[in-house]
Amino acid sequence: MTGWRNGRLEGVRMNEGGDGPLTSVVGQSVLFAKLQDLLAWGRTNSLWPLNFGLSCCFVEMATSLTSVYDVARFGAEVVRGSPRQADVLVVSGTVFMKVAPVIKQLYEQMMEPRWVISMGSCANSGGMFDAYSVVQGVDKFLPVDVYMPGCPPPPHAFMECLLLLQNKVASERRPLSWWFGPQEVQQPIMPSMRDAKREERTRQREYHAIDVLPRTDLLSPHFAGQPVDPSNPKP
Amino acid sequence: MTPRSSAMKDTSTGERAGVVAELEGRFGSEGFLTAAQYTKDEIPTIWIEKNRLRETLRYLQSEIPHPFPMLFDLSATDERLRRHHEGLPIGVFTVFYHLFSFDRNQSIRIKVPLKGEVLSLPSIVDLWPNADWYEREIYDMFGIGFDGHPFLRRLLMPPWWEGHPLRKDHPARGTEIGRFQFPPEKLVMTQEALQFKPEEWGLSRTHHDPDFDYMFINLGPAHTGTHGVLRLVTQLAGEEIINIVPDIGFHHRAQEKIAERQTWHTFIPYTDRVDYLQGVLNEMPYCLSVERLAGIDVPTRAQTIRVMMSEFYRLASHLVWYGTFAQDIGALSPVFYMFNDRERIHAITEAICGGRMHPNWFRIGGVAQDLPIGWDKLIHQFVDWFPSRLDQYERLVMDNPIFKERTVGIGAFSLEDAIAWGATGPMLRACGLPWDLRKVRPYSGYDQFDFEVPVASNGDCYDRAVVHVLEMRQSLRIIRQCLDSMPAGSYKSLDPLATPPLKERTMHDIETLIHHFVGVSWGPVLPPGEAEVPTESSKGQTSYYLTSDGAQVSYRTRIRTPSFAHIQMVPFMARGELLSDLLAVLGSVDYVLSDVDR
Repeated sequence: MTGWRNGRLEGVRMNEGGDGPLTSVVGQSVLFAKLQDLLAWGRTNSLWPLNFGLSCCFVEMATSLTSVYDVARFGAEVVRGSPRQADVLVVSGTVFMKVAPVIKQLYEQMMEPRWVISMGSCANSGGMFDAYSVVQGVDKFLPVDVYMPGCPPPPHAFMECLLLLQNKVASERRPLSWWFGPQEVQQPIMPSMRDAKREERTRQREYHAIDVLPRTDLLSPHFAGQPVDPSNPKP
Repeated sequence: MTPRSSAMKDTSTGERAGVVAELEGRFGSEGFLTAAQYTKDEIPTIWIEKNRLRETLRYLQSEIPHPFPMLFDLSATDERLRRHHEGLPIGVFTVFYHLFSFDRNQSIRIKVPLKGEVLSLPSIVDLWPNADWYEREIYDMFGIGFDGHPFLRRLLMPPWWEGHPLRKDHPARGTEIGRFQFPPEKLVMTQEALQFKPEEWGLSRTHHDPDFDYMFINLGPAHTGTHGVLRLVTQLAGEEIINIVPDIGFHHRAQEKIAERQTWHTFIPYTDRVDYLQGVLNEMPYCLSVERLAGIDVPTRAQTIRVMMSEFYRLASHLVWYGTFAQDIGALSPVFYMFNDRERIHAITEAICGGRMHPNWFRIGGVAQDLPIGWDKLIHQFVDWFPSRLDQYERLVMDNPIFKERTVGIGAFSLEDAIAWGATGPMLRACGLPWDLRKVRPYSGYDQFDFEVPVASNGDCYDRAVVHVLEMRQSLRIIRQCLDSMPAGSYKSLDPLATPPLKERTMHDIETLIHHFVGVSWGPVLPPGEAEVPTESSKGQTSYYLTSDGAQVSYRTRIRTPSFAHIQMVPFMARGELLSDLLAVLGSVDYVLSDVDR
């Protein structure tokens, strides 16, 4: 049974019911799946962002490429300079009226399928910059797939949104050819993260006191910019 | 929360008298000065008429003994809603010229009122080359013309923009203008406005040889080498750069307009985003100016915390510069190491300030919180370990023969040019002048610290890198001194203009309760006056020139940023170099687009 689990394609393996070494070897390297699922799986794990930075958010996005965060784990480290080769436009920063035609053109130069992540409060809604020169949200002229809150969102927020986008891309179904099958793109309806996380957030009762430092070891080989707290492994 | 008195003080005493007396000696005391203004920052500020402007500036630039060779800042104020005139000859607009003298270690501000119908002044582009962009910015933001300016057109706003944003009658908010829409005809119009036409900039398409055409290459605004949305149109003969026309304003966040609507305290988070790499280093000049305006003394502990965090952000900013500069030149691995170290600095800033890039940590009169328990261990771990990393980076980058080949002798300029173009910070020190405001005009207790001002002599890309690298070691030195001798005491001033009455005192009498309520919800009312405290930020001198009209908000906030002056120099630095050297020049300049466009 092909299915999606945690954003990964889990297919039927040959070793179910097999009885010899040959079938077990083949079972490790052969995967049966529907063609559409396989294509979606490929797209999901090779989301290449366009190298286009606007403001502060881009610095945090670039930080996620470096080794402490290492976005290569999700197949998204291949930052492309040309919109023709890129899959994701990360609008990382304030969208200015003067730069809006440039963003629009870059988006239109990207090949289908293409996705847009709106990174940070400015791109989401103008944020704190309710100013004459700022477009109040990139969704005024581009379709947005994932909105990322934060000013700027830290690198791990960028990676979380990338995973959300991967979930979406994995469940999208696109036409296999221009001459057969349905021609429209089937978009999943993605749940609101606010609703999905509400229960977990309301459960939280203990917070760090502001005058006590979290125990952070700067020189630890596992340093990842995160406080080390054995009692609460998920910060 | 009542405004304090701001009576005009006697202007004929002390240091101020010196330059004003010299000017009067040259131009006559009758009818030359229309007023001498007292400002809280003690910078001599004089008002003159428009027709005396050029001769006064020329005298100050070159003829006066110990001249003022640098045009530090030039901007304007819309005075139409000003309530407190203080007997000054205020007109409809005021244009102010801020000059600086290294010999005297002194600034002077010259103000010219504009009255009547014709809004124009004589241009001073022939006196200072950096007046070019400042005058264009004034034209863009206020609609004031400059006679004799070669290319007077909009600088920050797109050419299709209507109105002049910093005029008081221009809408401030995006939501006031209405929902942004992009119908096809607007898309075509805005795209066409981005077309570059060399003739409009006085550039020829053809060489004197009719078979040879210049090539125009458009770099940006979406280009990996420009570190943001900067556009440079280069005119090339083969690979040689003949000229460059920079196009800025793609990152204009209207900070100066926003300052006119945010209360004194609530503008602090906006200052973080003026140069988004250097966090509290932006808050420093703003808070110092507000404190000077309000007459607030900052406790020593708060000052030392400020210095310590400033130096951490200087390190973080320099690390980003270090890595990306090496990357611009083709060394791809250093940036990974340097970003990892920056992550460790951000672990510290997060532990102390609660934020990474935008900490919003300084407050008027102090800082937001006291240092948390255990801060010293964390910082100790960092300062003991980081010097060895710097050693490695010097071997990896600065000693690298390819790096030297690409940067030594590239984009060089002389000290005179640096001063004429308004270069500050590492750009100036790479030319041999050890001018660091932390040393020559100490603020926030920098005079208590033992550190050196690194300089280099050639003014090329490599020397700018050397200055940056040496500065990081000095920052570490300052942090270590903060660590060793952090004074005890309060982390914030209890001045009523800085901190509302403490909550526990409010439940005893109604007056304190009201002042607490008003102070928390509206913020303090600062006395009318003007103040500006330039500081040494990571990229050069940053200053916030604040004008208070006796309200909860600033009447005019002028933000002088180093990147603006430095990016204006790029065509001058890159002319005659090869196209590939342009990226070395850009990388060595160390700019941030939000710092250029504000």
